[in-house]
Amino acid sequence: MALLVAENLSVGYQAQKGYLHAVEGVSFSLDAGKSLGFVGESGCGKTTLGMAVMRLLPSNGSIREGRILFDGEDLLQKTDEEMRQVRWQEIAMIFQAAMNALNPVHRIIDQIAEAILTHTPSLDKEEAYEQVRGLFQLVGLPEDRMRDYPHQYSGGMKQRAIIAMALACKPKLIIADEPTTALDVIVQDQILEETKNLQREFGVSIIYISHDISIVADICHDIGVMYAGQLVEYGAREEVFDNPLHPYTKALLSSYPTLTGEKSQLMPIPGEAPNLINPPFGCRFSDRCTEARVSCRSNPPVWLEITPTHKVSCHQCGKHCEK
Amino acid sequence: MDHGEKTILELDRIVKKYRTKTFLFGARGQEVIALNQISIKVTRGEIFGLVGESGSGKTTAGRLIVRLEQPREGKIYLDGHDITSLKAKASKAYSRRVQMIFQDPYQSLNPQFSVFDTISEPLIIHKIGNTKAKEEAVWRAMKSVGLSPPYDFAHRYPHQLSGGQRQRVAIARAMVLNPDFVVADEPTSMLDASMSAQIFNILLEMRKKLNVSVLFITHSLAAARYLCDRIAVIYRGNVVEVGPGDEVIENPKHPYTKALIDALPQFRNSGDKKRYQTLIRAERRVPEHAGCPFFSRCKRADPVKCSREKPPLMRLGDSHWVACFYAEPGIKTSSGDNA
Amino acid sequence: MTREIIKVTVFNNDIGLSERFHWIGRLLEGWSIYKKNLLGKIGLTLLFLFALMALCSFIPPLVNPMYQPMAGVDPDISYSVGPSMRHWLGTDFMGRDILSQLLAGARIAFMVGVSAAFMSVFLGTVIGMIAGYAGRFTDNLLMRLADMIMVMPALLVLLMLAALFGQLSIWFIVLFIALFRWPGVSRVIRAQTLSLKHRPFVEAARVSGASHLRIIFRHIMPNVLPLSFLYMTFQVTSAIIVEAALAFLGFGDPGTVSWGMMLQWVWKTGHMFRAPYWLLPPGICISLITLSFYMLGRAMDEVLDPRLRKEGGTD
Repeated sequence: MALLVAENLSVGYQAQKGYLHAVEGVSFSLDAGKSLGFVGESGCGKTTLGMAVMRLLPSNGSIREGRILFDGEDLLQKTDEEMRQVRWQEIAMIFQAAMNALNPVHRIIDQIAEAILTHTPSLDKEEAYEQVRGLFQLVGLPEDRMRDYPHQYSGGMKQRAIIAMALACKPKLIIADEPTTALDVIVQDQILEETKNLQREFGVSIIYISHDISIVADICHDIGVMYAGQLVEYGAREEVFDNPLHPYTKALLSSYPTLTGEKSQLMPIPGEAPNLINPPFGCRFSDRCTEARVSCRSNPPVWLEITPTHKVSCHQCGKHCEK
Repeated sequence: MDHGEKTILELDRIVKKYRTKTFLFGARGQEVIALNQISIKVTRGEIFGLVGESGSGKTTAGRLIVRLEQPREGKIYLDGHDITSLKAKASKAYSRRVQMIFQDPYQSLNPQFSVFDTISEPLIIHKIGNTKAKEEAVWRAMKSVGLSPPYDFAHRYPHQLSGGQRQRVAIARAMVLNPDFVVADEPTSMLDASMSAQIFNILLEMRKKLNVSVLFITHSLAAARYLCDRIAVIYRGNVVEVGPGDEVIENPKHPYTKALIDALPQFRNSGDKKRYQTLIRAERRVPEHAGCPFFSRCKRADPVKCSREKPPLMRLGDSHWVACFYAEPGIKTSSGDNA
Repeated sequence: MTREIIKVTVFNNDIGLSERFHWIGRLLEGWSIYKKNLLGKIGLTLLFLFALMALCSFIPPLVNPMYQPMAGVDPDISYSVGPSMRHWLGTDFMGRDILSQLLAGARIAFMVGVSAAFMSVFLGTVIGMIAGYAGRFTDNLLMRLADMIMVMPALLVLLMLAALFGQLSIWFIVLFIALFRWPGVSRVIRAQTLSLKHRPFVEAARVSGASHLRIIFRHIMPNVLPLSFLYMTFQVTSAIIVEAALAFLGFGDPGTVSWGMMLQWVWKTGHMFRAPYWLLPPGICISLITLSFYMLGRAMDEVLDPRLRKEGGTD
């Protein structure tokens, strides 16, 4: 049963120079207890997508088209008050550089307790503190550090505190936007491990947004590859990584140095991402694509289903792709 | 160590300490040891990787080499000459031979300078050539980093460039004087994957064409594997392992190196099982500054020996050195020569 | 349109040209941002009017010597009367034309305001940069000096000086204002210098072998100057007010006509409640000119600090 379904979502910002089409025609579905990763480089729209689901866009942002169905209900039809109920209790978000969002003048325990009390006012402070204790155990933070201030925590500890805050109201879905970017490799690994454990234990669904494919591959069941505001490839993790179809996915994978396997030359992708204020009508990747034909520039690509779980948005893939 | 090839740069038992802020009424702050007697030798024409996490001291090492900071103890040698303490004129001459590429492409360019201004500044400082010669040198530098055609980019300002382009300007600036040695301090950690790939390839080209030696500072073992001839792994101010790139990665000997490799997310999720598993879950309490720096997290550590004695770098293979008593049976414990 | 022309003629393959004129482009860009700010436009308009006043101050005495602000005497009037055809704003207690005094006062206001502001900002910028860049002992020394000056009661010192030297000339007052005002500027410039000193592009210049002097003048100063300009506008405001206050209290230069001096005369000759046509114009002018400089400063703030601009859109 799908927990979250997005249909033809288009989001944009009103910029000084015009309307910026940040996300265009994105559709996906996420089942309960599963995780979905969005991968792409900066400017591809993945952060905007996450914010749109939470309806936390800045004042110049707007959702132009589409539906977001959460548990069957369209989030875009809800009023502000109803959305406030949904946020944190049903869907929680971990923002980029969230550890910097901790208030430096309040104790960690108070900040998490506040999140709990805001959404369940029936509890009193002691009960909220009890819950915080439980959360600390869950994320692997030592109990005797509950009353510390954020500056006394290391980066990894702060991130765990953020995760604890996100879990505080036992949401069904967590949207995590680059939660481990600022962390060292070993700490990152520990946190990813714990995230996987938490997911298994509680059946929380996760949307994981990152520019780092290897992390997304490690933690998510399904992957969506984004480029210039559009979804270009979507499928199960194994399918997208063992058998990438879209030229951008292939190029992206071959621009990462690997630790194992043969040392082939890294191929950077020539050119630059298109201007999203006046995006090209045809395929947005066509002017950087090695397999592009004339038709690619003039016609927008359509979705091709290679397997029931793996689809790609490309003109050339029909001929070149194997099942 | 290969004595046939010339060593271009050497760090000899460098110590760097920082004192944290002093409190009111004179009570001194704590002293932090950023680099604890590290020694590194870089051969001419080699790309040498210094891999470590944040707080390891890798950036400090780079800054000491370009003389942005001074070491507390120890010596630095360029081409055999002691450059640890140079006065003004010699320091300026040094800057012609040793340059740096900074981590943040958004901050390492003066926002008021055009691309041309930025790249030509080293030439102006060292009074090299007339206007025409300077222009040609800038053109050449820009072409070599792929900012072609040069006149398209020359008058642009940093805010009109992407991160990858800015970093290429920074590389052009570092290379315009044709230095012998370049410190590249995490040049790609703020860039996307495809821009990073471009930068890596530029560095390789540079080395091939100009035979410049590079100290590549990074937190990414994979990037080091791709670029570097030799890799040194640094942990909390100590070099724990040094060796040929492929050797260190395929055959790591120090528990920390193994932990780094374990920690990298694999493309294939091979059942959550780690290859080496050298870390303990919670850290041990350890007395300050005594014993092995990795003692507090090491599974294999001996509670007595490792907490008291600091292992020196010990030779393992041909040019593979490890600072661990238990790296391998039959490891030579003579501290005869250092890496 | 002009932007386009400059772009075409300047930003072509000739590096030398674009090197020399890139600041024109930046100025034009700054202007287009400034234009959008309502406060800025009002401020600029007012200032323009005052500048016009200052320029026109030479006209009345040429028309008729009785319109001389200080020495002019109307043969028929030797006391204060209200506005008339002959004297559009009336006359002061000696029968001198108020309007020409007002115009001359505008001239003084600009002179005093701008000179004092320029001097204090110049001093403050240089000292602030040196303190911030040199650090440690020099920094301490200069900043303690600044503290001492800030703490001194300026007016008291001025009183003492007046007692010692008799009346003070207008240029002495300008110097005096500058000497008491530079510490405020230097603190801000020092803070900015400190933050710039550690920026990677400054470190990159050091690694390239740049001398301290080069770093200060090529890297730090250009990034600090916009702040200096901004402070100059605020300093003009306070310089004008200080001069007016001094004049009002009787410490001004008796040989010059400033708005403050006019207010002093109104008060001293007991006309404060009797001659609104004499009292109001200088008072209003002082308020308006300081207000307009302030508005200028606020609008410039937006030009100089991109974060303050009202803009939409993502990066």
